[in-house]
Amino acid sequence: MAAAGFGVLCRKVLIGLKVSRSLLNPKALASTGLLHTTLSTKGLEEFFDDPKNWGEEKVKSGASWTCQQLRNKSNEDLHKLWYVLLKERNMLLTLEQEAKRQSLPMPSPERLEKVIDSMDALDKVVQEREDALRLLQTGQEKARPGAWRRDIFGRIIWHKFKQWPIPWYLNKRYNRKRFFAMPYVERFVRLRLEKRARTEARKKSLEKKKEKFLQKKFPHLSEAQKSSLI
Amino acid sequence: MRLSALLALASKVTLPRDYRYGMSRPGSLADRRKNPPGTRRRRVAVEPISDEEWHLFCGDTVEVLKGKDAGKQGKVVQVIRQRNWVVLEGLNTHYRYVGKTEEYRGTMIPSEAPLLHNQVKLVDPVDRKPTEVEWRFTEAGERVRVSSRSGRIIPKPDFPRADGIVPETWTDGPKDTSVEDALERTYVPCLKTLEEEVMEAMGIQETRRHKKVYWY
Repeated sequence: MAAAGFGVLCRKVLIGLKVSRSLLNPKALASTGLLHTTLSTKGLEEFFDDPKNWGEEKVKSGASWTCQQLRNKSNEDLHKLWYVLLKERNMLLTLEQEAKRQSLPMPSPERLEKVIDSMDALDKVVQEREDALRLLQTGQEKARPGAWRRDIFGRIIWHKFKQWPIPWYLNKRYNRKRFFAMPYVERFVRLRLEKRARTEARKKSLEKKKEKFLQKKFPHLSEAQKSSLI
Repeated sequence: MRLSALLALASKVTLPRDYRYGMSRPGSLADRRKNPPGTRRRRVAVEPISDEEWHLFCGDTVEVLKGKDAGKQGKVVQVIRQRNWVVLEGLNTHYRYVGKTEEYRGTMIPSEAPLLHNQVKLVDPVDRKPTEVEWRFTEAGERVRVSSRSGRIIPKPDFPRADGIVPETWTDGPKDTSVEDALERTYVPCLKTLEEEVMEAMGIQETRRHKKVYWY
Protein backbone atom coordinates (compact mmCIF):
# COMPACT_ATOMS: atom_id res chain seq x y z
CA MET A 1 0.00 0.00 0.00
CA ALA A 2 2.80 2.32 0.93
CA ALA A 3 4.68 1.38 -2.27
CA ALA A 4 1.65 2.03 -4.45
CA GLY A 5 1.09 5.33 -2.68
CA PHE A 6 4.68 6.38 -3.36
CA GLY A 7 4.46 5.28 -6.97
CA VAL A 8 1.39 7.36 -7.69
CA LEU A 9 2.70 10.62 -6.22
CA CYS A 10 4.08 12.82 -8.99
CA ARG A 11 6.52 15.63 -9.55
CA LYS A 12 6.49 19.09 -11.04
CA VAL A 13 7.97 19.07 -14.53
CA LEU A 14 6.49 19.65 -18.00
CA ILE A 15 5.92 16.25 -19.55
CA GLY A 16 8.89 14.56 -21.24
CA LEU A 17 11.04 17.60 -20.49
CA LYS A 18 9.95 19.18 -23.76
CA VAL A 19 8.67 22.70 -23.43
CA SER A 20 5.19 22.55 -24.96
CA ARG A 21 4.03 25.95 -26.08
CA SER A 22 0.65 24.82 -27.41
CA LEU A 23 -1.13 25.74 -24.17
CA LEU A 24 0.31 29.23 -24.25
CA ASN A 25 -0.35 29.97 -27.95
CA PRO A 26 -1.22 33.66 -28.29
CA LYS A 27 -3.88 32.75 -30.87
CA ALA A 28 -5.64 30.44 -28.40
CA LEU A 29 -5.49 33.15 -25.74
CA ALA A 30 -6.77 35.79 -28.15
CA SER A 31 -9.84 33.71 -29.03
CA THR A 32 -10.86 33.71 -25.37
CA GLY A 33 -10.79 37.51 -25.46
CA LEU A 34 -8.27 37.70 -22.62
CA LEU A 35 -5.33 38.97 -24.61
CA HIS A 36 -4.66 41.84 -27.02
CA THR A 37 -3.97 40.62 -30.52
CA THR A 38 -2.12 43.80 -31.50
CA LEU A 39 0.81 43.34 -29.08
CA SER A 40 2.76 40.12 -29.02
CA THR A 41 3.71 39.19 -25.48
CA LYS A 42 7.08 37.84 -26.62
CA GLY A 43 7.19 35.10 -24.01
CA LEU A 44 5.79 37.21 -21.16
CA GLU A 45 2.90 34.75 -21.01
CA GLU A 46 5.30 32.41 -19.21
CA PHE A 47 5.14 34.72 -16.20
CA PHE A 48 1.49 33.77 -15.82
CA ASP A 49 -0.27 30.51 -15.14
CA ASP A 50 -2.42 28.59 -17.62
CA PRO A 51 -5.47 30.83 -18.25
CA LYS A 52 -7.73 27.99 -17.12
CA ASN A 53 -6.33 28.47 -13.58
CA TRP A 54 -6.96 32.20 -13.49
CA GLY A 55 -9.36 33.03 -10.65
CA GLU A 56 -9.24 29.54 -9.14
CA GLU A 57 -9.08 29.18 -5.36
CA LYS A 58 -6.94 26.04 -5.38
CA VAL A 59 -4.62 24.59 -7.98
CA LYS A 60 -3.60 20.94 -7.75
CA SER A 61 0.12 20.18 -7.70
CA GLY A 62 2.25 17.10 -7.12
CA ALA A 63 5.11 16.53 -4.70
CA SER A 64 8.54 18.14 -5.05
CA TRP A 65 11.55 16.39 -6.57
CA THR A 66 13.62 14.51 -3.97
CA CYS A 67 17.42 14.34 -3.95
CA GLN A 68 17.41 10.61 -4.69
CA GLN A 69 15.21 11.00 -7.79
CA LEU A 70 17.43 13.81 -9.09
CA ARG A 71 20.60 11.78 -8.57
CA ASN A 72 19.31 9.33 -11.20
CA LYS A 73 19.06 12.03 -13.86
CA SER A 74 21.74 12.95 -16.37
CA ASN A 75 23.38 16.38 -16.40
CA GLU A 76 21.45 17.51 -19.49
CA ASP A 77 18.15 16.55 -17.84
CA LEU A 78 19.11 18.47 -14.69
CA HIS A 79 20.09 21.49 -16.79
CA LYS A 80 16.72 21.52 -18.55
CA LEU A 81 14.83 20.85 -15.31
CA TRP A 82 16.51 23.80 -13.62
CA TYR A 83 15.15 26.24 -16.19
CA VAL A 84 11.68 24.69 -16.15
CA LEU A 85 11.61 25.05 -12.35
CA LEU A 86 12.99 28.58 -12.59
CA LYS A 87 10.22 29.70 -14.92
CA GLU A 88 7.61 28.07 -12.68
CA ARG A 89 9.13 29.82 -9.67
CA ASN A 90 9.03 33.18 -11.44
CA MET A 91 5.39 32.59 -12.36
CA LEU A 92 4.49 31.74 -8.76
CA LEU A 93 6.38 34.74 -7.39
CA THR A 94 4.54 37.03 -9.84
CA LEU A 95 1.27 35.48 -8.69
CA GLU A 96 2.22 35.97 -5.03
CA GLN A 97 3.12 39.61 -5.59
CA GLU A 98 -0.07 40.28 -7.55
CA ALA A 99 -2.17 38.62 -4.81
CA LYS A 100 -0.47 40.85 -2.21
CA ARG A 101 -1.11 43.91 -4.37
CA GLN A 102 -4.81 43.07 -4.63
CA SER A 103 -5.01 41.98 -0.94
CA LEU A 104 -6.25 38.52 -1.91
CA PRO A 105 -5.01 35.10 -0.74
CA MET A 106 -2.63 33.42 -3.15
CA PRO A 107 -4.14 30.20 -4.58
CA SER A 108 -2.16 27.17 -3.35
CA PRO A 109 1.02 28.80 -1.93
CA GLU A 110 2.48 25.34 -1.21
CA ARG A 111 3.38 25.13 -4.93
CA LEU A 112 6.07 27.78 -4.41
CA GLU A 113 7.55 25.88 -1.43
CA LYS A 114 7.64 22.68 -3.48
CA VAL A 115 9.41 24.41 -6.39
CA ILE A 116 11.94 26.02 -4.04
CA ASP A 117 12.60 22.65 -2.38
CA SER A 118 13.06 21.00 -5.78
CA MET A 119 15.51 23.69 -6.89
CA ASP A 120 17.50 23.42 -3.65
CA ALA A 121 17.66 19.64 -4.03
CA LEU A 122 18.85 20.04 -7.64
CA ASP A 123 21.56 22.51 -6.56
CA LYS A 124 22.65 20.08 -3.84
CA VAL A 125 22.92 17.17 -6.30
CA VAL A 126 24.91 19.25 -8.81
CA GLN A 127 27.25 20.42 -6.04
CA GLU A 128 27.73 16.80 -4.91
CA ARG A 129 28.72 15.76 -8.44
CA GLU A 130 31.12 18.70 -8.77
CA ASP A 131 32.67 17.96 -5.37
CA ALA A 132 33.18 14.30 -6.27
CA LEU A 133 34.84 15.16 -9.59
CA ARG A 134 37.07 17.80 -8.04
CA LEU A 135 38.17 15.48 -5.21
CA LEU A 136 38.98 12.74 -7.71
CA GLN A 137 40.89 14.92 -10.14
CA THR A 138 42.64 17.39 -7.85
CA GLY A 139 42.08 16.32 -4.23
CA GLN A 140 40.87 19.84 -3.34
CA GLU A 141 38.09 19.79 -0.74
CA LYS A 142 36.87 23.33 -1.34
CA ALA A 143 35.74 24.76 -4.67
CA ARG A 144 36.90 28.30 -3.81
CA PRO A 145 40.50 28.81 -2.64
CA GLY A 146 41.19 30.47 0.69
CA ALA A 147 43.55 30.54 3.64
CA TRP A 148 43.56 30.80 7.43
CA ARG A 149 44.79 34.28 8.33
CA ARG A 150 44.87 36.55 11.36
CA ASP A 151 42.90 39.77 10.84
CA ILE A 152 43.70 43.12 12.51
CA PHE A 153 41.45 42.18 15.45
CA GLY A 154 43.65 39.19 16.24
CA ARG A 155 41.03 36.65 15.16
CA ILE A 156 41.98 33.65 13.01
CA ILE A 157 39.58 33.72 10.09
CA TRP A 158 39.10 31.79 6.84
CA HIS A 159 39.89 34.42 4.23
CA LYS A 160 38.16 33.52 0.94
CA PHE A 161 40.21 34.47 -2.07
CA LYS A 162 38.89 36.86 -4.69
CA GLN A 163 39.79 37.10 -8.36
CA TRP A 164 41.92 40.10 -9.26
CA PRO A 165 43.46 41.17 -12.59
CA ILE A 166 46.74 42.31 -10.95
CA PRO A 167 49.11 40.59 -8.50
CA TRP A 168 48.84 41.35 -4.76
CA TYR A 169 51.96 43.52 -4.52
CA LEU A 170 50.55 45.97 -7.10
CA ASN A 171 47.06 46.08 -5.57
CA LYS A 172 46.62 49.27 -3.52
CA ARG A 173 43.19 48.35 -2.13
CA TYR A 174 44.30 44.87 -1.09
CA ASN A 175 47.42 46.17 0.64
CA ARG A 176 45.31 48.49 2.80
CA LYS A 177 43.82 45.33 4.39
CA ARG A 178 46.06 44.19 7.20
CA PHE A 179 46.39 40.46 7.86
CA PHE A 180 48.43 40.92 11.02
CA ALA A 181 47.69 42.18 14.55
CA MET A 182 49.72 44.78 16.44
CA PRO A 183 50.94 44.03 20.00
CA TYR A 184 48.25 46.18 21.68
CA VAL A 185 45.62 43.77 20.34
CA GLU A 186 46.90 40.88 22.51
CA ARG A 187 45.03 42.26 25.53
CA PHE A 188 41.73 42.16 23.62
CA VAL A 189 42.43 38.66 22.34
CA ARG A 190 42.81 37.56 25.96
CA LEU A 191 39.56 39.32 26.94
CA ARG A 192 37.75 37.64 24.05
CA LEU A 193 39.09 34.26 25.18
CA GLU A 194 37.86 34.90 28.70
CA LYS A 195 34.43 35.91 27.40
CA ARG A 196 34.20 32.77 25.30
CA ALA A 197 35.25 30.59 28.24
CA ARG A 198 32.63 32.29 30.39
CA THR A 199 29.78 31.73 27.89
CA GLU A 200 30.77 28.09 27.41
CA ALA A 201 30.92 27.49 31.14
CA ARG A 202 27.52 29.13 31.53
CA LYS A 203 26.05 26.96 28.75
CA LYS A 204 27.45 23.80 30.38
CA SER A 205 26.11 24.68 33.81
CA LEU A 206 22.71 25.49 32.27
CA GLU A 207 22.66 22.07 30.61
CA LYS A 208 23.51 20.42 33.95
CA LYS A 209 20.81 22.41 35.73
CA LYS A 210 18.22 21.40 33.07
CA GLU A 211 19.28 17.78 33.33
CA LYS A 212 18.92 17.85 37.12
CA PHE A 213 15.50 19.49 36.85
CA LEU A 214 14.28 16.86 34.39
CA GLN A 215 15.60 14.07 36.61
CA LYS A 216 13.65 15.50 39.54
CA LYS A 217 10.44 15.83 37.51
CA PHE A 218 10.71 12.52 35.65
CA PRO A 219 12.59 10.07 37.94
CA HIS A 220 12.19 7.17 35.50
CA LEU A 221 14.42 8.95 32.94
CA SER A 222 17.65 7.87 34.65
CA GLU A 223 16.61 4.18 34.62
CA ALA A 224 15.66 4.44 30.94
CA GLN A 225 19.04 6.03 30.14
CA LYS A 226 20.92 3.34 32.07
CA SER A 227 19.02 0.53 30.33
CA SER A 228 19.59 2.12 26.90
CA LEU A 229 23.34 2.49 27.61
CA ILE A 230 23.55 -1.21 28.56
CA MET B 1 24.01 35.83 1.16
CA ARG B 2 21.73 34.56 -1.61
CA LEU B 3 18.63 36.72 -2.09
CA SER B 4 16.33 33.70 -1.95
CA ALA B 5 17.83 32.63 1.38
CA LEU B 6 17.41 36.16 2.75
CA LEU B 7 13.73 36.28 1.70
CA ALA B 8 13.15 32.85 3.21
CA LEU B 9 14.58 34.05 6.51
CA ALA B 10 12.24 37.03 6.49
CA SER B 11 9.11 34.93 5.90
CA LYS B 12 9.99 32.10 8.34
CA VAL B 13 8.10 32.24 11.64
CA THR B 14 10.58 32.62 14.50
CA LEU B 15 9.25 31.61 17.90
CA PRO B 16 10.69 32.96 21.16
CA ARG B 17 13.09 30.70 23.08
CA ASP B 18 10.61 30.03 25.95
CA TYR B 19 7.58 29.67 23.67
CA ARG B 20 4.89 27.49 25.23
CA TYR B 21 3.14 25.33 22.65
CA GLY B 22 -0.65 25.28 22.98
CA MET B 23 -3.57 23.85 21.05
CA SER B 24 -3.38 26.61 18.42
CA ARG B 25 -0.88 26.38 15.55
CA PRO B 26 2.11 28.70 16.18
CA GLY B 27 1.82 31.76 13.93
CA SER B 28 -1.97 31.56 13.55
CA LEU B 29 -4.28 34.45 14.52
CA ALA B 30 -5.46 32.72 17.71
CA ASP B 31 -1.91 32.03 18.79
CA ARG B 32 -0.78 35.59 18.04
CA ARG B 33 -3.74 36.87 20.08
CA LYS B 34 -2.92 34.64 23.04
CA ASN B 35 0.88 35.10 22.89
CA PRO B 36 1.61 38.61 21.63
CA PRO B 37 5.32 39.43 21.23
CA GLY B 38 6.89 39.86 24.65
CA THR B 39 4.79 37.19 26.39
CA ARG B 40 6.79 35.20 28.91
CA ARG B 41 4.97 32.31 30.51
CA ARG B 42 6.20 29.92 33.17
CA ARG B 43 8.16 27.10 31.57
CA VAL B 44 6.50 23.68 31.50
CA ALA B 45 8.55 20.52 31.98
CA VAL B 46 8.25 18.26 28.94
CA GLU B 47 9.72 14.79 29.15
CA PRO B 48 12.28 14.43 26.36
CA ILE B 49 11.12 11.52 24.19
CA SER B 50 13.15 10.82 21.06
CA ASP B 51 11.45 10.36 17.68
CA GLU B 52 12.38 6.66 17.72
CA GLU B 53 10.72 6.04 21.10
CA TRP B 54 7.45 7.87 20.35
CA HIS B 55 4.69 5.35 19.61
CA LEU B 56 1.44 7.32 19.23
CA PHE B 57 0.31 8.34 15.74
CA CYS B 58 -2.74 10.02 14.24
CA GLY B 59 -5.50 7.50 13.60
CA ASP B 60 -4.46 5.07 16.38
CA THR B 61 -7.09 3.68 18.74
CA VAL B 62 -6.06 4.38 22.31
CA GLU B 63 -7.69 3.99 25.70
CA VAL B 64 -7.76 6.76 28.29
CA LEU B 65 -6.36 5.75 31.67
CA LYS B 66 -6.94 8.87 33.75
CA GLY B 67 -9.27 11.82 33.57
CA LYS B 68 -12.93 12.39 32.98
CA ASP B 69 -13.30 9.74 30.26
CA ALA B 70 -11.13 7.08 31.92
CA GLY B 71 -11.69 3.66 30.43
CA LYS B 72 -13.03 4.91 27.09
CA GLN B 73 -11.37 4.21 23.75
CA GLY B 74 -10.97 6.81 21.05
CA LYS B 75 -9.12 7.69 17.87
CA VAL B 76 -6.15 10.03 17.92
CA VAL B 77 -6.84 13.11 15.82
CA GLN B 78 -3.83 15.31 16.58
CA VAL B 79 -0.38 14.77 18.06
CA ILE B 80 1.55 17.74 19.49
CA ARG B 81 5.08 16.43 19.97
CA GLN B 82 6.45 19.56 21.62
CA ARG B 83 4.25 18.94 24.70
CA ASN B 84 3.91 15.13 24.31
CA TRP B 85 0.18 15.70 23.80
CA VAL B 86 -2.42 13.54 22.11
CA VAL B 87 -5.89 14.82 21.17
CA LEU B 88 -8.64 12.21 20.98
CA GLU B 89 -11.83 12.60 18.99
CA GLY B 90 -14.78 13.46 21.22
CA LEU B 91 -13.10 12.43 24.48
CA ASN B 92 -11.94 14.52 27.43
CA THR B 93 -14.15 17.39 26.27
CA HIS B 94 -15.14 20.63 27.92
CA TYR B 95 -17.80 22.91 26.47
CA ARG B 96 -17.40 26.35 24.95
CA TYR B 97 -19.45 28.83 22.95
CA VAL B 98 -18.63 29.55 19.33
CA GLY B 99 -19.83 32.38 17.10
CA LYS B 100 -20.79 34.67 19.98
CA THR B 101 -22.01 38.15 19.04
CA GLU B 102 -23.23 41.02 21.16
CA GLU B 103 -26.85 39.82 21.23
CA TYR B 104 -26.47 36.10 20.53
CA ARG B 105 -24.91 33.84 23.17
CA GLY B 106 -23.38 31.56 20.52
CA THR B 107 -23.51 27.80 19.89
CA MET B 108 -22.22 25.47 22.59
CA ILE B 109 -19.80 22.90 21.22
CA PRO B 110 -17.70 20.23 22.94
CA SER B 111 -13.98 20.92 22.50
CA GLU B 112 -11.40 18.22 23.23
CA ALA B 113 -8.62 18.84 25.71
CA PRO B 114 -5.24 17.19 25.11
CA LEU B 115 -3.97 14.21 27.07
CA LEU B 116 -0.37 13.42 27.90
CA HIS B 117 1.26 10.34 26.39
CA ASN B 118 1.32 8.54 29.77
CA GLN B 119 -2.39 9.14 30.32
CA VAL B 120 -3.31 7.01 27.28
CA LYS B 121 -2.36 3.51 26.17
CA LEU B 122 -2.41 1.88 22.77
CA VAL B 123 -5.10 -0.73 22.28
CA ASP B 124 -4.25 -4.25 21.10
CA PRO B 125 -6.12 -4.74 17.79
CA VAL B 126 -7.40 -8.25 18.62
CA ASP B 127 -7.94 -8.06 22.41
CA ARG B 128 -9.18 -4.50 22.33
CA LYS B 129 -7.50 -4.00 25.70
CA PRO B 130 -4.79 -1.44 26.57
CA THR B 131 -1.19 -2.70 26.31
CA GLU B 132 2.37 -1.47 26.70
CA VAL B 133 4.12 -1.18 23.35
CA GLU B 134 7.72 -1.77 22.27
CA TRP B 135 9.47 -1.04 19.00
CA ARG B 136 10.85 -4.21 17.44
CA PHE B 137 12.09 -5.35 14.06
CA THR B 138 10.28 -7.93 11.92
CA GLU B 139 12.16 -10.60 9.99
CA ALA B 140 11.79 -8.42 6.90
CA GLY B 141 13.70 -5.67 8.73
CA GLU B 142 10.71 -3.38 9.21
CA ARG B 143 10.45 -1.45 12.49
CA VAL B 144 7.01 -2.09 14.03
CA ARG B 145 5.16 -1.58 17.29
CA VAL B 146 4.65 -4.82 19.18
CA SER B 147 2.40 -5.14 22.22
CA SER B 148 4.50 -6.55 25.06
CA ARG B 149 1.60 -8.54 26.56
CA SER B 150 0.46 -10.56 23.56
CA GLY B 151 3.27 -10.04 21.05
CA ARG B 152 0.92 -8.89 18.30
CA ILE B 153 2.01 -6.26 15.81
CA ILE B 154 0.08 -2.99 15.92
CA PRO B 155 0.13 -1.64 12.35
CA LYS B 156 0.64 2.06 11.61
CA PRO B 157 -2.86 3.51 11.02
CA ASP B 158 -4.10 5.22 7.87
CA PHE B 159 -4.75 8.88 8.34
CA PRO B 160 -5.76 11.30 5.57
CA ARG B 161 -2.88 13.55 4.51
CA ALA B 162 -2.87 17.17 5.65
CA ASP B 163 -2.73 18.45 2.04
CA GLY B 164 -5.88 16.48 1.14
CA ILE B 165 -4.18 14.25 -1.45
CA VAL B 166 -5.53 10.69 -1.69
CA PRO B 167 -2.73 8.67 -3.36
CA GLU B 168 -5.15 6.06 -4.80
CA THR B 169 -7.23 8.59 -6.74
CA TRP B 170 -4.37 10.80 -7.92
CA THR B 171 -4.14 11.90 -11.56
CA ASP B 172 -1.26 13.91 -12.95
CA GLY B 173 -1.82 17.55 -13.75
CA PRO B 174 -0.42 19.18 -16.95
CA LYS B 175 2.73 20.29 -15.11
CA ASP B 176 3.40 17.00 -13.27
CA THR B 177 5.90 14.40 -14.47
CA SER B 178 4.58 10.89 -14.87
CA VAL B 179 5.90 8.24 -12.51
CA GLU B 180 7.93 6.42 -15.21
CA ASP B 181 9.59 9.63 -16.37
CA ALA B 182 10.44 10.67 -12.84
CA LEU B 183 11.94 7.31 -11.85
CA GLU B 184 13.72 6.72 -15.19
CA ARG B 185 17.48 6.60 -14.75
CA THR B 186 19.31 8.66 -17.36
CA TYR B 187 22.52 9.27 -15.40
CA VAL B 188 25.68 7.82 -16.88
CA PRO B 189 28.64 8.63 -14.63
CA CYS B 190 31.59 10.12 -16.44
CA LEU B 191 34.50 12.41 -15.67
CA LYS B 192 32.90 15.56 -17.04
CA THR B 193 31.42 18.55 -15.26
CA LEU B 194 27.79 19.51 -15.92
CA GLU B 195 28.98 22.51 -17.93
CA GLU B 196 31.18 20.42 -20.23
CA GLU B 197 28.46 17.83 -20.85
CA VAL B 198 25.81 20.45 -21.60
CA MET B 199 28.17 22.30 -23.95
CA GLU B 200 28.88 19.09 -25.84
CA ALA B 201 25.19 18.26 -26.06
CA MET B 202 24.27 21.75 -27.32
CA GLY B 203 27.29 21.97 -29.66
CA ILE B 204 28.71 25.09 -28.01
CA GLN B 205 32.39 25.71 -28.84
CA GLU B 206 34.27 27.81 -26.32
CA THR B 207 36.75 29.82 -28.37
CA ARG B 208 37.48 32.49 -25.73
CA ARG B 209 40.80 32.09 -23.98
CA HIS B 210 40.92 32.38 -20.20
CA LYS B 211 42.95 35.42 -19.12
CA LYS B 212 45.29 34.94 -16.16
CA VAL B 213 43.58 35.95 -12.89
CA TYR B 214 45.20 36.21 -9.51
CA TRP B 215 43.54 34.60 -6.50
CA TYR B 216 44.24 36.23 -3.10
